[in-house]
Amino acid sequence: MTTEPMQAVREFILGRNSEIQQLDGDLDLIDSRAINSLAFVEFIFLLEELTGEPIDPEEVDLDDFRTLDAIEERFFKQKAA
Amino acid sequence: MAVRGIEPILLDLDRLEQLAESGYYNPYTMFDWPDAIEPDLPWMSESLTTLAGTPMWDELTREQQIALTKYEAINFFSLNIHGIRELMSEVVMRIHERAYADVSEFLHHFIGEENEHMWFFAQFCLRYGGKLYPAQPSLKADSVEHLSPVAREMIVFARILIFEEIVDYYNAHMATDQSLPAIAREINRVHHQDESRHVAFGRMIFTHLLGQVARRDPDEVPLVAAYLEDYLQYSIATLYNPAAYRDAGIPDALALRRRALEHPARHEAHEQLLKRTRKFLSKAGVGRELIK
Repeated sequence: MTTEPMQAVREFILGRNSEIQQLDGDLDLIDSRAINSLAFVEFIFLLEELTGEPIDPEEVDLDDFRTLDAIEERFFKQKAA
Repeated sequence: MAVRGIEPILLDLDRLEQLAESGYYNPYTMFDWPDAIEPDLPWMSESLTTLAGTPMWDELTREQQIALTKYEAINFFSLNIHGIRELMSEVVMRIHERAYADVSEFLHHFIGEENEHMWFFAQFCLRYGGKLYPAQPSLKADSVEHLSPVAREMIVFARILIFEEIVDYYNAHMATDQSLPAIAREINRVHHQDESRHVAFGRMIFTHLLGQVARRDPDEVPLVAAYLEDYLQYSIATLYNPAAYRDAGIPDALALRRRALEHPARHEAHEQLLKRTRKFLSKAGVGRELIK
């Protein structure tokens, strides 16, 4: 159930970072600048679209977006449960 | 905060300072705020909405079209407000740094005027729309860490300039759009008037700092050009706010946003919007043609 949206998340990141060969689940996407400030808004909109839930920009906790594992845990596992 | 590695910024700002002094006005008393906006009038020019020129606009009911002008006007003014908050905080931290001593006088006018713009934009949104849209979140690990301190310094002013040039395109058009309520026209007109000085200053300080970057390391200029192109695209995308579509009663806001951003008519609109800025960047030697 969770594979498909996470694939879209991976494609978003890889589409903007051609130098990344392997996208590990624990790679820090923010510190590594795989997602930078300019891309972050688009990334949030993508997650909103994939989850069907709006994300309040004033309530964003960066740790929820830091790694693929954290994104899956925060946005997709709860829905599947 | 010390700005290290920056040579003193020397610009001839006498004329801009004189204009700021002679054109000074009291924003708190100069507007005649009506109790309400006439219900059938668009709040922003229909041709400037993010769906203009596409079938998505034609598919809306007239009620939805007017609602979209309302919420996109609130989004546009909210973006102004958040942009002003960012630029003011950056400029305040530099205003009495040694490198900025020569331009400090103008920076005082700049901050003062920006604060006033922020006030009247918020007045409009809160009086008539009852809200602002929140700022989009930003990341601490920024998009400029790969650049030198001088280039990062230049980027601060480049962001201010790009933001002001985009906003001014809208203001200039709406300042004379007779289909708008008088108060919307007036706010756009007053802002356009002040911004002409700010854009002139922005271009001067940008050109000066770009010169410092190029003298230090000419190979960094294409990296700056790539960042600026990303920033232009980012700025355009912020105009397309799904919350505004939702508030206007338009379904599937995120899918609509994606379709709108990809539509050829919108690409053409973006080219028009960015034409003046791109021409300036190319002439300054940091246009998108440099991107490797």
